[in-house]
Amino acid sequence: MRRKIARHLIAITATVLLGGLVSAVLVRISPGFAIDENQLDPRLNAESLRALRASHSSEANILRFYAGYMNRAVHGDLGISHSLGQPVGRLLRDRVPVTGRLAAGGLALAWTFAFGLAAALAAVRISTCDVLAIVLSGILLCLPAAVMALLSVLWNAPASLAVALIVFPRVFTYSRNLLLNSYSLPHIVTARAKGLSKLRTLFWHVLPSCAPSLVAVGGISVNIALSAAIPVEALCGVAGVGSLAWQAAMARDLPLLVNVTVLVTLVTLLSDAGADVIGYVLSTREN
Amino acid sequence: MLSSSALAESGSELRFCLHSEPKTFNPLLVADDAAETIRYLTGGVLVRVNRQTQELEPELALSWKVSKDGREVTFKLRKGLSFSDGTPFSADDVAYTMRLLMDPELHSPTGDAFRSGSGAVRSEVFAPDRVSITFPATVAGLDRLFDQVAILSAHSPKKEMAVLGPFMIADYKPGSTVLLKRNPNYWKTDSHGRRLPYLDSIRLDIQPNRDIELVRFKRGELDLINSLDSEYFDRVDATSPGLVHDAGPSLDSEQMWFNQVAAAPLPPYEREWFRSTNFRRAISQAINREDLSRIVFNGHARPALGPVSPANKFWYNSRMKADAFGRDASLARLAVEGFRLQDGILRDESGHRVEFSIITNSGNKYRERMAILIQHDLEEIGIKVNIVTLDFPSLIERITHSFNYEAALLGFTNVDLDPNTQMNVWLSSAENHQWNPREKSPETSWEAEIDKLMRAQASSRDPGKRKESFDRVQEIVVEQMPFIYLVNRDSLSAISASLQGTVPVILRPQTYWNADRLTVSAEAGTRGR
Repeated sequence: MRRKIARHLIAITATVLLGGLVSAVLVRISPGFAIDENQLDPRLNAESLRALRASHSSEANILRFYAGYMNRAVHGDLGISHSLGQPVGRLLRDRVPVTGRLAAGGLALAWTFAFGLAAALAAVRISTCDVLAIVLSGILLCLPAAVMALLSVLWNAPASLAVALIVFPRVFTYSRNLLLNSYSLPHIVTARAKGLSKLRTLFWHVLPSCAPSLVAVGGISVNIALSAAIPVEALCGVAGVGSLAWQAAMARDLPLLVNVTVLVTLVTLLSDAGADVIGYVLSTREN
Repeated sequence: MLSSSALAESGSELRFCLHSEPKTFNPLLVADDAAETIRYLTGGVLVRVNRQTQELEPELALSWKVSKDGREVTFKLRKGLSFSDGTPFSADDVAYTMRLLMDPELHSPTGDAFRSGSGAVRSEVFAPDRVSITFPATVAGLDRLFDQVAILSAHSPKKEMAVLGPFMIADYKPGSTVLLKRNPNYWKTDSHGRRLPYLDSIRLDIQPNRDIELVRFKRGELDLINSLDSEYFDRVDATSPGLVHDAGPSLDSEQMWFNQVAAAPLPPYEREWFRSTNFRRAISQAINREDLSRIVFNGHARPALGPVSPANKFWYNSRMKADAFGRDASLARLAVEGFRLQDGILRDESGHRVEFSIITNSGNKYRERMAILIQHDLEEIGIKVNIVTLDFPSLIERITHSFNYEAALLGFTNVDLDPNTQMNVWLSSAENHQWNPREKSPETSWEAEIDKLMRAQASSRDPGKRKESFDRVQEIVVEQMPFIYLVNRDSLSAISASLQGTVPVILRPQTYWNADRLTVSAEAGTRGR
């Protein structure tokens, strides 16, 4: 167990460091890097324009920039955003809770409805309802995240509903398949044949047998919710990490983009690792 | 209807959107629209350009005098005024503000507008209510530039948060809102002697998405949209005709230009086309500006001719005449340069097919549509046009660094009526001389003439002489077409019925320029808030 956690920690540290570097390199080589739209301001004189261009000179050598960034980050300084003119640490502190609430709300809604529907359908097995649920899930799966976001704006619905609708079909499909598999296990078929109640079957036999896999789906759904948050926040005007990432990408804001990448990578890997560890614990107990 | 003074007692909040995060709250460093909005609403200035009459009016200064050589301005200040935190206002604050603003290390766009020669700027305080500022060289339109200078307190511990304008910053939630509260020490009163502003607060929601802004305006959650797109204008007009306002053509223009940079990675024959005056004028003649205005902007734009919009009452040269529009006129001009139309394809003297790309910024549906109409118009004279849309940083890189483009389509936002702020566009040595930046010496005789005229207008104090010089600049630009001006967009806005006292104008900020006298009726408090 300890070895497993240690392995995860090493993998997370290496991936986060590499992810940050790759993101920095991609921004550095992208067209429009180190370009500020104020360069078109006719009021600025030649000296000011030179100063504007020189403000990115510390980022010209990306390896040196990244080493400097790591050094400062260790001391709690995440740099200054070029496009917003504010300390990145403060920007993230203000916006992480917003995205956290958005993703958590979306996940809670998605899991409640997706898992509830999957569990009910797997237990009662009415084929018409099953088909309708699959069709609904399929439609939601086909709709782009941007469409969901725009609909939530038009209908004045909370942005977390858009995130929920994006996460729902994925959770529903995986949960339904896992539950159906569990219901077809020999000991559960026997229990049902002996007249065990549906609730007892679900909570005593079906859920324990598929819990490790469900936890893994939980980890994946966190990543889906975070990916959905970027377009949803950008389109719904929610001031979270997603809209910050969008702004940073459009402005080639290297310090901000590197930090956002590191943060998102860290959260993604931690949720995956957490799910893996919990799944491992559950499966060990079951064995 | 409630009177203004009655409304003043009712307690009210004006609510509208900023389209981006303000990059600074320091009024001396303002470079973006959002920060400019906050500076306008919070900053106290010595003089203010009346957005309606376009005339300069006294504010913190009771009177002022510019010296004959245009290097010195002396202000007589109002007495007994205080900053929002209670710190008294005096000439020391003006001197302190100018010292900070003109610090070469600050690189302030507002400060740079005052720089006309090398050397230090001197501020001399004669009395608590009298100060003079001396510049190393003549500054054209010197007094009007103070419209942009928000006076800071030299003594307040709150630094730039202590203000002299009608509102002060009360709260800022990054990415979400900026809340402005009325400044209790604001010096202005209305005709009944009641202290302004009438509004208790202004809530500025940071909302980059224009669709959401419109939805929220329709729901009654916002009181105004300061700058409305023509498409949205018609949408609101269809349902609530009284809420939208078209104040006529603005100072902003849309234009295209050809890359004339000698070192640009273009084939020599293309560079030769782009450097040909007749080629540029022929292209201009082939573009139907009426169609651009009618189709792209639904009639909310006017065909443009030169660098100054007709909305700029003083500086517009009304003597200029446009070339005749039409396919035949365009082909006749091209024929002078040896271009021939063969089987529907235009070829130059050496037989090269005339084909080029126009770059513009992606996501700007108006420019994308204009590019499509231009493509169609130029097809009529046998020219193949490819449209390339790029995000803004990539586009700027191409037009300012790599010069890897053939033609560009962009807009020019004019924040000032005076052409002196366009020096960095018209001087051949300037960085923003976009068709051929940073020329070591003028590469054409007409650019040399523009340089001379722009310098002449900048060093003159006589408005008549300045106008004469700049009129000639406008004529040269129309003759030589380094920029092919397409349209001047109208100044469009939407104002809710609950907001009273607004007079939409073409100068920024179009709808809330008299924010200290605006009122929001109490009923608005119950709608969507």
